[in-house]
Amino acid sequence: MDYIIEGVKGAFKLILSLDKEIYSIVLLSIYVSFASTVISSLIGVPLGLVTGIKEFRGKRLLSKIYYTFMGLPPVVVGLVTVLIISRSGPLGTVGLIYTPTAMIIAQSLLVTPIITGIIFTNSKDTGLEIINICKTLGANKKHTFFKLIKELKPLILVATVTGFGRAISEVGAVMIVGGNIKGHTRVMTTFIAMSNSMGNYDTSIAMGIILLIISFSANSFLYNRTMGDSNGYKIKKY
Amino acid sequence: MDIRLRNIKKTYNSKTVLQIDSLKIKKGKITGILGPNGSGKTTMMKIIGDLIKPDTGRVEYDGKGFESASDRLTYVSHNSYLFNDSVFGNIAAPLKFRDMKKEYIEKRVEELIDNFQIRYLKYENALTLSGGEKQKVALARALSFKPEVLLIDEPTSNIDPNFIKLIESALKRINNDLKTTIVIVTHNTAQSLRLCEEIIFMRDGNVIQQTLTKNIVNSNDEFIKEFIELN
Ligand SMILES: Nc1ncnc2c1ncn2[C@@H]1O[C@H](COP(=O)(O)OP(=O)(O)O)[C@@H](O)[C@H]1O
Ligand SMILES: [Mg+2]
Repeated sequence: MDYIIEGVKGAFKLILSLDKEIYSIVLLSIYVSFASTVISSLIGVPLGLVTGIKEFRGKRLLSKIYYTFMGLPPVVVGLVTVLIISRSGPLGTVGLIYTPTAMIIAQSLLVTPIITGIIFTNSKDTGLEIINICKTLGANKKHTFFKLIKELKPLILVATVTGFGRAISEVGAVMIVGGNIKGHTRVMTTFIAMSNSMGNYDTSIAMGIILLIISFSANSFLYNRTMGDSNGYKIKKY
Repeated sequence: MDIRLRNIKKTYNSKTVLQIDSLKIKKGKITGILGPNGSGKTTMMKIIGDLIKPDTGRVEYDGKGFESASDRLTYVSHNSYLFNDSVFGNIAAPLKFRDMKKEYIEKRVEELIDNFQIRYLKYENALTLSGGEKQKVALARALSFKPEVLLIDEPTSNIDPNFIKLIESALKRINNDLKTTIVIVTHNTAQSLRLCEEIIFMRDGNVIQQTLTKNIVNSNDEFIKEFIELN
């Protein structure tokens, strides 16, 4: 029991000490996860909307593929990324392995299906209604697209915040492609895994608390942004 | 514009819900669609508005396809989707789609807000309104761009009786001033007698009568007689 209390005490000391290494790890985590969430949203939001709203042959098969990819184990995604960027892979010449860029690629592969899937599952009914009303009011494709994004903003926010949460809390993929190199690719989750295995419970608990605070902030932001919306449809994550 | 339906057929789960060999809706007139629940009125209106594709047949707009008419024709139902925006923003939307000038948009929206007596709602979020208020906003929005054809599906179903008159006179006025072709689905026979020049009566997916309004009351079809007595 004692070591937990000591850990929490040590945690707050560490947070308040403004330790440079800790803060650069936190910033790198936020940077990598944020960048991959942006990339994933740029792909996942339009893809989820188009495939979610349109009726076409093979839609059921596609939804099964989405759900499978939404649940991919991060280590598998890490491995696939390594295959793509390793010396002999298609992106081998760029020398990306063990860089933050590699981590962004891996997390984008992980998060894109999550964002796509959430939008896909939830956009159909409202999306079709919005498209139809835009049509009856004489909107062109561009106007209709922007209206869709605007009207479905709460859903898009839920999808992206969920994606960000997944990215920042994930350890397997960034460990494999980033390598947890001090001062270069070390992020919060790989730091926690490492300090814990070394018996430094206070630092791992400290980092865990910071991770929770970030998650909490992201979700508070989401809650504040979507609460006032009486559009308030129920959003299924899976 | 003249609207003509040719060999339209629509089936859901192997049940034919609409079958119209030929039907012409006349330019510049107010035409009423009457008929019991489930007789295919909404399906027909949505097919005319190109929101549903028929299984067979086509609709012609002055002899041409829907594309030629798409931004001059509009469909309003009793539960039209309103944008998550102010009442002003909703009514202005079709004008913004058409890249109208800001001053014109302001002027046109103000005009409609007065016509529909919804000034007290101008800055309210449209999603917070009551059913009847929403219907007024939806109708004002549809009229904002002065469509040539207005398809309305039970426009006064949630509206207080004292406002029905307001809506009816608004419809009469735009038909008179702008020569807007209006097709209106209504449950209310009295309303169709007040508004419409011509009545199309539907039953089980078929048009069973198309006639001048003044003749419908003398219809010798037992079904229509009874419907008119009861509604
Ligand atoms: N999307 C749909 N799927 C299955 N049946 C439908 C669908 N839309 C309408 N119907 C059926 O078609 C018939 C006509 O419906 P509708 O055109 O809405 O009638 P009305 O507007 O005259 O009340 C009804 O029997 C209705 O149940
Ligand atoms: Mg109906």
